[in-house]
Amino acid sequence: MKIAIDMDSGLLTGDGSTIVAAANPAERATAELSRVHMSFDGRMEILQDINFVLREGEFLSIVGPSGCGKSTILRLISNLLAPTRGDVKTFGPDGSAAHVGFMFQRDALLPWADVNTNIAVGLECAGVPKEKHAARIAELLTLLGLSEFGGYYPRALSGGMRQRVALGRLLAYDPDVMLMDEPFGALDAQTKILLGYELMRIWTTHRKSVVFVTHDIEEAIGLSDRIIVMSARPGRIKSEYHVNLPRPRDLRGVRKMPEFHQLSEKIWNDIVDRV
Amino acid sequence: MDIAATSPVPIRTKVIAQIVLGVVMVASWEAAAVWFIDPFWIGKPSAIAARLWTEFVDGDMIGHTGITLFHAVTGLVLSLVIGVPIGVLFALRPFVADTVEPYFLGFYSLPRVALAPLFILWFGIGSISKIMMAFSMVVFIVILNTHEGLRGVDRDLVDMLKSMRAKRLYMLRKVLLPSIVPWVFASVRIGVGLALVGAVIGELLGANRGLGWYVEHSAGRVDIIGVFSGLVVLAVLGMALNEVVKAIESRFTEGRY
Repeated sequence: MKIAIDMDSGLLTGDGSTIVAAANPAERATAELSRVHMSFDGRMEILQDINFVLREGEFLSIVGPSGCGKSTILRLISNLLAPTRGDVKTFGPDGSAAHVGFMFQRDALLPWADVNTNIAVGLECAGVPKEKHAARIAELLTLLGLSEFGGYYPRALSGGMRQRVALGRLLAYDPDVMLMDEPFGALDAQTKILLGYELMRIWTTHRKSVVFVTHDIEEAIGLSDRIIVMSARPGRIKSEYHVNLPRPRDLRGVRKMPEFHQLSEKIWNDIVDRV
Repeated sequence: MDIAATSPVPIRTKVIAQIVLGVVMVASWEAAAVWFIDPFWIGKPSAIAARLWTEFVDGDMIGHTGITLFHAVTGLVLSLVIGVPIGVLFALRPFVADTVEPYFLGFYSLPRVALAPLFILWFGIGSISKIMMAFSMVVFIVILNTHEGLRGVDRDLVDMLKSMRAKRLYMLRKVLLPSIVPWVFASVRIGVGLALVGAVIGELLGANRGLGWYVEHSAGRVDIIGVFSGLVVLAVLGMALNEVVKAIESRFTEGRY
């Protein structure tokens, strides 16, 4: 398989089974999957020969048809699942396994705890001393535009607000790698874009490594540095694209750029298996 | 917890309707006793009210009510204290649950009434046998509900905490125990009535006080008004306990679950 560099659009496409260098190969790796195979019950093959390296500060999206094992990759990175074959490694700043944090499509907030307590879960899991909690929570609530809502229970909040709280908890935990499993998938189109803006703003200042799973190609292009396209079951990496759109990005603005459309078209063709 | 989105009835209307229904029932009873059926068989509300007045003011009805309440509530609390941890154990150790299950269901199917003579033999005619009766009625439901509640714990919550490397104890405290609260309350709501049944059965068979004893004692003297007085107090006690449980439950769960 050949690797083609498309100079005009600044896109790099490569064969999925080879590890393609990230946008900035100088950055250290925060997660590495090599020759990962995954099957459940020894029969149903979910993932086949998955290889990729996540770099520090990189925003990587995984797109593909439903059932292609996208979410399974996140569960592997977070160590909730072990691969059938192959290696999944994560690297924290000190070389030990990275701290990873999860964000799900469903907010996964504790319904019996108010917003403050839910965010405190992230702090407690990170081992932040108790006396620092109040200040940190206030800071995060302000960052997410939730200052008034610290004492609210999740049931009283809208879907978009709940996902903000989930993001707040994730930021409170301050992980080395953020794993996001269609976090905005259950939201309406406007809220999705608005939260995308928020995420970009926050990510730009914190520069965490992110693995973002979605089936929304345009969302993936808008947010990512790099996109991995998966094929349907068994999930394999079909292609990989670097998104060289300028940052900081205007999520609505970039959708008008020709590069955006070219890339969107290519990914779409990959997913529906057309050449 | 509304099953379907029917339009809510204002609380005042509900209370008035409840009072009207109560008055209609008591009035029909009284009418039946006056005109149709000999009060020897069905008692008579006015006579029962008069009896209750004397028993509460001059007699020891408060004492009997108190002791039955004590038996039932102690049995209920004991079954929570013992049942919840067993339910948690069953959920965390499916092997234990699977091993114990057939025997557990065997005991559960036993009519606990049949155990009462045994309990009196073992624990005497004092309070302990009654508390154990109430306990034996309720504990199975607490265990089953706790187990079921934990099986239904939201996987995402567990995975979310696991991915953040939360300790087991933290998980238990933050996710597992809070998520069974509605299930525990459900078992308490069912358990209140059952605990009263257990306490009264114990008192019927061997005691010298309590509402069960009062009913049994009155029946022994063919005092139908006395029997009905005891039953009325029991019914009111059951209703009051239910309201208390509902109030506590809504305090703990409203707007959160």
